[in-house]
Amino acid sequence: MSLALYYYLSITAVNILMSWALYVPYRMAHLHFITVANMAISGYTAGYLVMALNVPFSLALAIGFLLGGVIGYLVSLFIGDAPTFAVVIVGFTFIYITRTVIENMPSVGGTMGMFGLPNIGGSPSVHRFVILGILYGLVVLVGFLIHRFDHCSLGRAASAVFVDKDLAVSLGIDIRKLGILLQTFSCTLAGGCGVLYGFIYRSFHLDFFTFHLVGITMTIIFVGGYSTMWGTVLAAPLLYGIPLLFPPEIASWRIVIYGALLILVLVLKPEGFITRRSVYCVEGFLSRAQKKLNNS
Amino acid sequence: MKKAKFVVVAAMALVFLTTGFGFAQTQAQVKEWRVPFLNCLTGAIASIGEYLQWGAERAALEINQAGGIKGKPVKVIGVDTALDPQKGSVEMARIVEEGTLVAMGPVPEPVIMAAMPIAVENGMASVTATTSYEYAVKFFPWTVSWFPPTEQRLGELVAAWAGLHPDMKSVIQFVEPYGPWPGMAEAHVKGLTSVGVKVMPKVDVPSDAVTFGPLVVKALEQKPDGIVFVCNAEKIAKIIRELKSRGWTKMDRLLVFSSGDAPELYATGGADINGVEIYNYINPNLDTPRWNAFKEAYMKAHNGNQPPSLSTNYYDALYMIKRSIESTAVTGDPKKFKEERKMIAEYMANMKDFHGIMFNWDMKNGVPTNKPTFIFSIQEGKKKLVKEVKP
Repeated sequence: MSLALYYYLSITAVNILMSWALYVPYRMAHLHFITVANMAISGYTAGYLVMALNVPFSLALAIGFLLGGVIGYLVSLFIGDAPTFAVVIVGFTFIYITRTVIENMPSVGGTMGMFGLPNIGGSPSVHRFVILGILYGLVVLVGFLIHRFDHCSLGRAASAVFVDKDLAVSLGIDIRKLGILLQTFSCTLAGGCGVLYGFIYRSFHLDFFTFHLVGITMTIIFVGGYSTMWGTVLAAPLLYGIPLLFPPEIASWRIVIYGALLILVLVLKPEGFITRRSVYCVEGFLSRAQKKLNNS
Repeated sequence: MKKAKFVVVAAMALVFLTTGFGFAQTQAQVKEWRVPFLNCLTGAIASIGEYLQWGAERAALEINQAGGIKGKPVKVIGVDTALDPQKGSVEMARIVEEGTLVAMGPVPEPVIMAAMPIAVENGMASVTATTSYEYAVKFFPWTVSWFPPTEQRLGELVAAWAGLHPDMKSVIQFVEPYGPWPGMAEAHVKGLTSVGVKVMPKVDVPSDAVTFGPLVVKALEQKPDGIVFVCNAEKIAKIIRELKSRGWTKMDRLLVFSSGDAPELYATGGADINGVEIYNYINPNLDTPRWNAFKEAYMKAHNGNQPPSLSTNYYDALYMIKRSIESTAVTGDPKKFKEERKMIAEYMANMKDFHGIMFNWDMKNGVPTNKPTFIFSIQEGKKKLVKEVKP
């Protein structure tokens, strides 16, 4: 596989997973930007474990997931049922706090960053194979879990909270518990992504985890469609890939093209390219096709 | 006698044949030398990317007018990384796979950290001419450092500055936590303490700070005799204005670090920064035909603005690449990419007597050994040389 394709595929997978990490709590109207801080915390922790303490990558990755989950759980105890705005503020605050803490920690490179993370498996080709395998394994696993979530009572409960909290409470939904569950899931996922993100580049720098990442994931969700997980699957490779195909002459217009695209989508299709209705249509079509096949 | 003549003629023919043959081996096998430059052409620091690119293209223009590299023209290809590590890594991967011999950039540090490991893994040199030694050294031998190790060089420099003001007994620093800047501040501390100047606890300048009154009050409370600025250029100008509004008059006891020498300092500071001292690696007051031509062309292309301090870095970097290709057996032949990439990297790392636009310098194991530094006084937006500090 070409090197450029490897980077394209691996970063696309991270963008899909991180957009899902934002999508899941957004199902109940929580814009949970703490995920970016989770990426940094788990990433740097795993980097330190591997570099300084010679912990194997697999264990460091597991610790990264776990750390993300623990932080997500603890924070969600306070904001599990908070209004959207409060969740956004907590997320931004966490990003700032995390940056400041890391900046002042020479053991993880401080403002300079962390260099020279080792190749997993000892060689660059094995490293790439393992990273891609883990990332796309995660895409399949997390995609399956979210798909199941969207189609079960929990997903319907989240939809009810999204539309009207009072209505959801009257239906007997425990908003706080649901919030804790979704936020913890989201942070766990982000923690693991942080570790993998750093191991793609084999380095960590604080500027890998900035509001830029919030911008990317938000654009992916809102252009692709925020009411279904499939919007992310469509938008992540396209939004990341299209600018790479621009000839140099128009590359500097990338931001304008992005902006125009976003405005067009918001005006013409406010729910994004892929809506829940379009997913139901496809699902209906597939199920009819399946029935026909079975009958014949 | 005849036999002796025959031997001499045969030996000469042999010499001609072998040197001729050798020469043919080093002939360029390319139509043009393409040098990709991973630069930030869009995004928050696009203005810096623009003049870095301008410098590189100016060098390409001059080189081509003088006959190119080994007789073939050179083309600098601007590759926009948009300050984005994601984009930078894919672009670097594409560059190494396209069979590029040597590249320039990336700019700035986050993209360097994401993209340089790809160049290293594939054995391709990429000249990172705007970052500090501490970043570049991690990617040796596949890049060279444009600056000597920070601690050593800046220590000497601020000690020399302190020597200009013998009555200055205590100094405080404003430090912004970005990339190598805290390390530069540490180097200042070591240099100042080595000459007996007391360095007070630093004042942290948050990256998102917009008002500076409280920071200035915090610094003035410690009653320093001098102040060193290690933060963003615009912030430095605003802090100096705050200092003046709170009664600071000894302008020459204010020292701005090299990264603060950017157009924003002069645009925001205006007359308020008159008398402030600043250090840097280049001397814009130099009077040589080459520098004057560069300056004139830059000003013509930039509405009369003076060339900023980093504008020459990639100009020199391209000349360094030119000399590396011309001084080795590099041909650009795709079949020999691996060894030719290595030849370029090895030659650059130990290049002697390189003729930069400002001065000549030597490289040893990827590090410049004898680049001078300069301390200036700012007067009406211009820098007046106060002292040249040689290593």
